[in-house]
Amino acid sequence: MDKPSHISVILDLSPSQWHLSSLPENPHPLSLRSFLSQLLAFLNLHIASKHENTLAVFGAFPSKSVMLYSSTDPEADNTENVNPNMYHPFQVVDSRVVTRIEEELESLDQSEEEAPIGLVGALTKALCYINRIIHPSASQSSGTTSEDPTTLPDPRILVLSVSPDLSTSYIPIMNSIFSAQKLKVVIDVCKVYGPDTVFLEQAAHLTGGSYIYLDRRDALLQHLIMSHMPSPALRKLMTVPTQDKIDFRAACFCHKNIVDIGFVCSVCLSIFCAPVPVCSTCRTKFPIKTLQRLNASRPPGLKPANGALKTAPSTPHTRGPSTPR
Amino acid sequence: MPPSTVCTAKASYKKAPGLLELTDTHLQWSQDGKKAPSIRVPYAELASLFCSKEGAAQVRLKVGLVSDDAGHNFTFTSPQPVALSERETFKRELTNIIARNRSTAEPTTPKPVIATSPITPVSNGHPPPLRPSGAATPALPPPISRAASVVSSGGTPGPGGAVSASDFKLRKKVLVNNPELATLHRELVMTGQITEAEFWEGREHLLAAQAAADSQKRGRPGALVDPRPQTVEGGDIKIVITPQLVHDIFEEFPIVAKAYNENVPKPLNEADFWKRYFQSKLFHAHRASIRSSATQNVVKDDPIFDKYLEKEDNELEPRRQRDEEVEIFIDLGATQEDHDVTGNEKDITMQAGKQKGVLPLIRKFNEHSERLLKSALGEDGPTTKRRRIDDDASHLRDYYAQIDIEDLHDLQDTTGIILEMQDRQRYFEGGMKSAASEDASKHEIDIKVALREAKDNLHDWAGALSNLKLEKKAADASVVAMTQNVQARLTTKTRKNDIPEGLFRQMRTCQTAANEFLRQFWSSVYPPLSDLQSANPPTPAQKAAKAAKMAGYLAKTHEKVEALVRTAHAEGIDPERVRVAMKPLTDAVDQALTFHRTRKPVNAK
Repeated sequence: MDKPSHISVILDLSPSQWHLSSLPENPHPLSLRSFLSQLLAFLNLHIASKHENTLAVFGAFPSKSVMLYSSTDPEADNTENVNPNMYHPFQVVDSRVVTRIEEELESLDQSEEEAPIGLVGALTKALCYINRIIHPSASQSSGTTSEDPTTLPDPRILVLSVSPDLSTSYIPIMNSIFSAQKLKVVIDVCKVYGPDTVFLEQAAHLTGGSYIYLDRRDALLQHLIMSHMPSPALRKLMTVPTQDKIDFRAACFCHKNIVDIGFVCSVCLSIFCAPVPVCSTCRTKFPIKTLQRLNASRPPGLKPANGALKTAPSTPHTRGPSTPR
Repeated sequence: MPPSTVCTAKASYKKAPGLLELTDTHLQWSQDGKKAPSIRVPYAELASLFCSKEGAAQVRLKVGLVSDDAGHNFTFTSPQPVALSERETFKRELTNIIARNRSTAEPTTPKPVIATSPITPVSNGHPPPLRPSGAATPALPPPISRAASVVSSGGTPGPGGAVSASDFKLRKKVLVNNPELATLHRELVMTGQITEAEFWEGREHLLAAQAAADSQKRGRPGALVDPRPQTVEGGDIKIVITPQLVHDIFEEFPIVAKAYNENVPKPLNEADFWKRYFQSKLFHAHRASIRSSATQNVVKDDPIFDKYLEKEDNELEPRRQRDEEVEIFIDLGATQEDHDVTGNEKDITMQAGKQKGVLPLIRKFNEHSERLLKSALGEDGPTTKRRRIDDDASHLRDYYAQIDIEDLHDLQDTTGIILEMQDRQRYFEGGMKSAASEDASKHEIDIKVALREAKDNLHDWAGALSNLKLEKKAADASVVAMTQNVQARLTTKTRKNDIPEGLFRQMRTCQTAANEFLRQFWSSVYPPLSDLQSANPPTPAQKAAKAAKMAGYLAKTHEKVEALVRTAHAEGIDPERVRVAMKPLTDAVDQALTFHRTRKPVNAK
């Protein structure tokens, strides 16, 4: 009954966001150093709480994503500076995660502007990884997973996010959410810094995970333990904190604006912020009459301006944040 | 030209004496001393007829109407013998009219004999009930409803002016079937907050669905005609006979119709005919189930009916041969000669007539089904459905065409629309310089500094980890916050609703009303849901006026909510709870109002 659990942790490692997070004018500044030590404590907690628990860590860097650590694929650890005061497996995880982060940061492109964060890539890699470990084929005898389905781990993903929503990534994120639903993978989100992200809220909600907005950033570890430590199976018995309010709005495909009300292509379900004669995704031509009708009765004088855009619906898609009771 | 009168009789209606007349278009009754008839029923309305038993104290006649099952009851007031003969006259005439009505209502149903006998008592002299007893006549209602669907199609403009009576009926039906909508209707329309027309705007699909449901014709009931005897005191058995039952019996068993034609009125009168029929072997041969064996002892030899007895249909070959040629693909015998060659075993599971006793029953069922099928095929234009089958048979001999079933075809033709995403790159990586850097640019971050800082932060991670220590205050605060979060959700689950019913109802009313206003508001702002319903789309000016009106209503929502909060306070309920409960509503209203305000100036320009 008590199945081992697997966590794929996704770390949002945007240097600029972490810089902002550590600025002293924040109510509770949190530096990357402090974040990492709390995170490592959490990771250690996870692998210590059950012998069969597995772990994978993915890093989302500007414009790239990499796997930092996976417990099914432990590399030959360098045993040179063994700390005798530390449980060895902890040390393996910790040193490996940090060293890999260092390497990746080192190789980062020194351009003037920070590239968008590779969160989607990390999410996709995490899903692929989970898909592999929960479907161990006979030919592939990789690591610790055994063929007995009862000992297959209960997988989940934990996203530790500091970057704001990237509206361009709406479609791939939604696709990842659907894959996660299909794999029955729970996505937990801990928003460590920055404004709430609409897409990750939806990701957590749609997969049955919990979304936490970190108010007391100095108590990150406390939040991680209370909200993200219990496995999905345990959460049936034990309520974990989450956010009640979820913003269900979507981003339009044409300008990547988050829209309250949009037009939906009847063929491919693409979302547009204004009626268009031809769907830009699937090239479906819409009847001119429909277009006229929609345009004619469109509320006049709404210039497509930044985010606060409103347009007539062919299908009232979503309207504002909703609060489930 | 005054209508010519077919027959007249003195009769009372609702205890008032008067004159019953049958003209060549109407059945009418006028009270004594009044010129104009107070009841006037056109022929087409007449649907059924019932009479009291001969010998009863009062001579009564009841007519059922198409639109009204209850109909009218007349009592003939002349002295008995005269009254009886008068009633016979009316009965004869009305029966013909009703028969005509029915045959127009069901144009294609074969009618060997129409129910010429209205009501006749059976067995031991119990007075027959005037109304058909429902249990005994399961087959009675359909003809009326089938006829009704024809008649009701002619909607007349009602007193409401714009709304026709049929529309009104439809709306009423929708409301009756949908209590929530009815409540909304009561609260908004009856109180005059929005008009009837506004209420139905955008709900046309409900009406359309109802109209479609109403116009569906009920088909022929599939039950076998099987009159169920009711046992009354003293061990007697009673079967109530209605014209409908008679009709059904005649249709199902032509032999009974033949017997009826040959024996009524001589040597048997109607009552005796039915009485003897139900005791005859013929009746028991017609029964559909083994229940017959229980009443076997009642069966008597009957010289009249026994002539009509047919031999049990339990020979290997059915008595009634199918006249059609059996299609070769469904003929099990078609490949019989190949069985020896191919080495197939003889089929032992499907031997016809293995159990002789069930053959008559099976055949009866088959014949019944065939009759039903024929009547169903016939109803829809004489041969349209049938022709489709026959067509295949006519350019027959093309056996391949016969086994070529469309459903089994590969779906090669319908490739659908392939989702060819144009310019994919745009979707996955486009808009690079959007929101991501927006926040960052505000703070003018030097990316190199940030990167260096990040790297610096990684140094001596082990030391930081070993010195990790959570501030007690921070940890406590977050624990409290998270506990509250969990608790808030648990309490909503466990706490029962202790808001008093009165207040709760007010809250609900406020909520539904505001919801409706919101619906009206947005529907006046946004295009209609589909092209179909826009028969006469409102002009932009009308829509603007409506939006303004609705916005006016919506603006009052906050006051209403405040009033509720005050009421809650007065009743000792935490006002905050009411406010929280109404929060989504006020949010939605605010959104609409903000929208309305921002839109106005542009309109004026």
